[in-house]
Amino acid sequence: MLLTKLTCRLCFQRVSRNKNCFCSKVPKTPIWEEVDHTRIPNVPQIDQEMINHLERVSLVEFNNQAGIERLSKAIESANKLHMVNTDGIEPMESVLEDRMLYLREDKVTDGKCKQEVLSNAVKTIEDYFVAPPGNIPLKTKERDYGSNSNGS
Amino acid sequence: MLSLTLKEAVHKLRDGSITAKDLCEKCIERLNKTQQLNAFITETVDVSRDSAAETDKRRRKSKPMRWRKLEGLPIAVKDNFCTTGIRTSCATTMLQNYIPPYTATVVQRLQDEGAYLIGKTNMDEFAMGSGSVDGIHGPVRNPWKYKFTSSNLENQQTKPIEQVSMRNYHTSTDDWHIAGGSSGGSAAAVASGVCFGALGSDTGGSTRNPAAYCGVVGFKPTYGMLSRHGLVPLVNSMDVPALFSKTVDDASILFNVMAGHDVHDSTTVTDEFNHFTLPDNMNIKDLHIGIPKEYHAPGLSKDVHNAWEEAADMFEKAGAKVTQVSLPHTQYSILCYIVLNCCEVASNMARYDGIEFGHRAANEDSTEELYAATRHEGFNDVVRGRILAGNYFLLRQNYEKYFAKAMQVRRLISEDFKKVYASGVDILLTPTTLTTAPTYKWFTERDNRTSSEEQDIFTQPVNMAGVPAISVPSKLSTDGLPIGLQFIGQNFKDKELLTIAKWYEQQVQFKQLNLDYLDNVS
Amino acid sequence: MAASMQKISSHICQLCKRRYLTFSYKRSSSNSKSKPWKSVVGLEIHAQINTESKLFSGAENKFGGPTNTQVSLFDAAFPGTLPVLNKGCVEAGVLTALALRCTVNKVSKFDRKHYFYADLPAGYQITQQRQPLAVKGHVDYCISDKNSFETKTANITQIQLEQDSGKSLHDEKDRISLIDLNRCGTGLMEIVTEPDFSDGTDASAFVKELQKILQTIQTCDCKMEEGSLRVDANISVHKSGEPLGIRTEVKNLNSIKSVSKAISFENETRSFDNEIDETVPMRDKEVKTDYRFMPEPNLPPLHLFDSESVKTVSSKMSVINIDDIQQKLPPLPEDTRKRLEQQYSLKRRDVAVLVDNSGLVDYFEDVMRLSPTTSAKLVSNFIINQLLGVLNDRKLTIYKCPVKTEDFGKLIDLLHTEEISYSTSCKVLDEMFEHPNIAPEDIVDQKDWRQISDTQVLTNICEKVLEEHPKLISKYRKGKLKYLHTLVNKAVIDSNNKANPRILKQIMEDLLDNK
Repeated sequence: MLLTKLTCRLCFQRVSRNKNCFCSKVPKTPIWEEVDHTRIPNVPQIDQEMINHLERVSLVEFNNQAGIERLSKAIESANKLHMVNTDGIEPMESVLEDRMLYLREDKVTDGKCKQEVLSNAVKTIEDYFVAPPGNIPLKTKERDYGSNSNGS
Repeated sequence: MLSLTLKEAVHKLRDGSITAKDLCEKCIERLNKTQQLNAFITETVDVSRDSAAETDKRRRKSKPMRWRKLEGLPIAVKDNFCTTGIRTSCATTMLQNYIPPYTATVVQRLQDEGAYLIGKTNMDEFAMGSGSVDGIHGPVRNPWKYKFTSSNLENQQTKPIEQVSMRNYHTSTDDWHIAGGSSGGSAAAVASGVCFGALGSDTGGSTRNPAAYCGVVGFKPTYGMLSRHGLVPLVNSMDVPALFSKTVDDASILFNVMAGHDVHDSTTVTDEFNHFTLPDNMNIKDLHIGIPKEYHAPGLSKDVHNAWEEAADMFEKAGAKVTQVSLPHTQYSILCYIVLNCCEVASNMARYDGIEFGHRAANEDSTEELYAATRHEGFNDVVRGRILAGNYFLLRQNYEKYFAKAMQVRRLISEDFKKVYASGVDILLTPTTLTTAPTYKWFTERDNRTSSEEQDIFTQPVNMAGVPAISVPSKLSTDGLPIGLQFIGQNFKDKELLTIAKWYEQQVQFKQLNLDYLDNVS
Repeated sequence: MAASMQKISSHICQLCKRRYLTFSYKRSSSNSKSKPWKSVVGLEIHAQINTESKLFSGAENKFGGPTNTQVSLFDAAFPGTLPVLNKGCVEAGVLTALALRCTVNKVSKFDRKHYFYADLPAGYQITQQRQPLAVKGHVDYCISDKNSFETKTANITQIQLEQDSGKSLHDEKDRISLIDLNRCGTGLMEIVTEPDFSDGTDASAFVKELQKILQTIQTCDCKMEEGSLRVDANISVHKSGEPLGIRTEVKNLNSIKSVSKAISFENETRSFDNEIDETVPMRDKEVKTDYRFMPEPNLPPLHLFDSESVKTVSSKMSVINIDDIQQKLPPLPEDTRKRLEQQYSLKRRDVAVLVDNSGLVDYFEDVMRLSPTTSAKLVSNFIINQLLGVLNDRKLTIYKCPVKTEDFGKLIDLLHTEEISYSTSCKVLDEMFEHPNIAPEDIVDQKDWRQISDTQVLTNICEKVLEEHPKLISKYRKGKLKYLHTLVNKAVIDSNNKANPRILKQIMEDLLDNK
């Protein structure tokens, strides 16, 4: 008996031999790779030293336990990148890396706009911006971020 | 009048069949009737009326004058583009009173061709988000399936800024849908007929995502084609000013006005920009379309999958070559984005200290104390969280492990696109989002980062590679919400991309949202 | 070696008044107390680039403008503004790199260096940490004082382009800082040296040479008092054969003197600390601020070309050709020194003084041009030992010297041919300052200062002296040679101080021997 129907390799439908199978090129099922947790590093504990250090360099506070969890989750997502083999791959800093940087001629074309520059400053004194004294490290406040932080 | 396309409106203004004043008043009226969508942060109706009057005056002059390409056309601009003398808040407390002394290049170019600003649109704070729900002015509501009732219209008041900061601000029991983000306001403005075109920004899908949810065209050009001078940055290496419009032709018109090298932005390409108009016909048989299989991701809804399949099949039946291709690193793009985004945010936000501009706290004990207090009061949790994460990834001991790694993965993603195009594919066809616009309730049950991870998966890889992409509304879902499909093109082949998108649009004849009935509601 | 207590000490530099910290930890004492302390000094020099506009913005780059008038929105870090690189700054950087014999990188990149400070509006500085403009150069320079003269070579690690910060005025009473951003964004070349210097004198001699080079190629005006050249020093103290000791950083030294003094001061202090505490260094990684360097995303890489690779450029954009810039390199101080040594057979020490003093080389060479047969040695000698002194006394620079080079040459000729004595020539020089329009030979004639060199006349004078002082002759003959000088002096007096001392002495000797 001659086979009059074949199975299309793409969509697994059975079609008549004489007809061209029209099957959609759109895949029927999702094909994402499962996360292999053995290949990704663990999320480190965010200890008090790290909290203090990050708050100091960011001049922004974690605020509460939720803030620290947010960071842990971000690290967890970032760690999944280690599933990708990047041996020998040059980091890509800019999509324009092959283009030449535009160079401006050395002419005075800007400035002389003191009013505009100062227009949005909340505090000014005699055309100067005003800041409090600097070089004074942030006071480390006592904050309880709960069980997530080590040795706090 | 408001259901005209931009192209039609421009023609009618030129031939005098409508006056700029009439058009302007109609738009302002629609703006007032759709206040509850909360699409605008700042409305510039006085400026609009003055500009419209100016246009009509120019027409009445006896001497012939150059009729500019967008003469008399109202547009909306996302509130992260600087506009001289007009508040530019980026929906954040930090910049809520910031009045820029300069105008973004792309906005200036539109204005130079006769367009005028009807308002600055609502967004996620500092463009961080994919729902337009995380700004201090409250969330943007999707006009599709929105129940405009007179009681709603009555209850509408301007929200005092002091009250906003919490995600769950809106207490309405109506189950309305989000507009998408972060340029939701601009999308809603075009969809609801308030204006004929709008500017958004697109870093990971911030224009294409709301375009899909709101049933309008959302076009992200190739990175380097449009100037970012004046666009408050989110991720400098991925941000692109982007466009909302009703049709692909409209997007092309706006793009042609704005594109080209800008001496103020070193990341615009210096090549001469050749202006173009899109052909009305194209030979579909010469086309090779790629269907990247990885874009069938977990969570893709049945409706969106069907729309995608129908589109692919339609192209094939029309004679185009359609093949399934692979972009193997697609699923890692969003993870790569998280790292690069947070790092750039940590860096870009370092300038907000209260000294030169923006919010300034009252603590004057030391510079460090002032900065910390200013930044605590000025930023929301999302922004702060990204700054902390970004600084974590940039620490000396972490740089190689995270930042350099992410840049390596970025190259792999970019190479994926290059390889596929080198094999003969002209364009890629994918869904824009996993589903149609979710409800606000559903969306806010997740935190901002999870939402981004889910909502941006199809749009984000495009920004990694810098290639152009456009979301075109295809059809409505079974529950009456628009579905957008995405076309992804090759670097600097924006014209080719738009041409194919236009052909598709002509085939599907998507019916735009029509809110003309609101005109009859008092 | 057990590391125990970490010690962080805070000091205020007595010269620049800035706070600095030293980091160290104790270890058990060794038996190295007997060896002397040596110090190793490396420098980071920030030179403001002498361009019209700033590095990344078109605002004016000029010293002393009214507050906040030379500030563009980019300099004040307004949101949405972007950097655009100044071609003039790159060219200056390349010229400097070539002058310091560096290898210019064909591709260099920009980075962000993050830290918070009120005079840094963006919260980061744009610099070139990973892939700078140029690497691996060297500078030959001389260290000289009254007693010694030494030539050395210092190695340059790298040269990078970066932004300068704004300026803060601190008001201690009201506890505020007033910020002026005029300087913010000005282009700087950071020149980093290897730790090749041994003390303050050494380091300051190098800085002087660097100043001369930069002023010659005109990429920086080097006015340290205006802050256009600033020096940071990294000083380590150790005992010979042992690893480097505590590293101290002294920042913002803004005069040659303070470079010398501050380093010497630190040396003494470090050595002193070390004698008391026997401290050893902390690993750098543990103590340095984490600047979280990140590539600057708004600036694609900078590509530079040479005459070969420039042919491959199809774009119409202006490009920078390193070879073209090499052609523009003028003779550098070291080149001039070598040339003077060879051309005029002068000693290195003398040549160093000529090159050291601005304008002196031109003066010298003009003299030689107008009087080619004159002794170069004598000319340079007289310029260094006499002319400079007179100019100093009268508070004039060589550019305002009233003595024309032609006349100076004639003066030296008179000296060379022994028509006047050395001491007379000094007197003539003074006269020439007073009366610059009178030629030196006319002055000599007017004052009757010509030496008597006629042997017959001088013989007569000598014979007369010998006749008058027979006792002195016999004393001389008894072996007391000093009496020759006494007789010669008497003859000089008899000649009204006009006798040529050399010839007179010779004649006197001959007469005494032959009588």
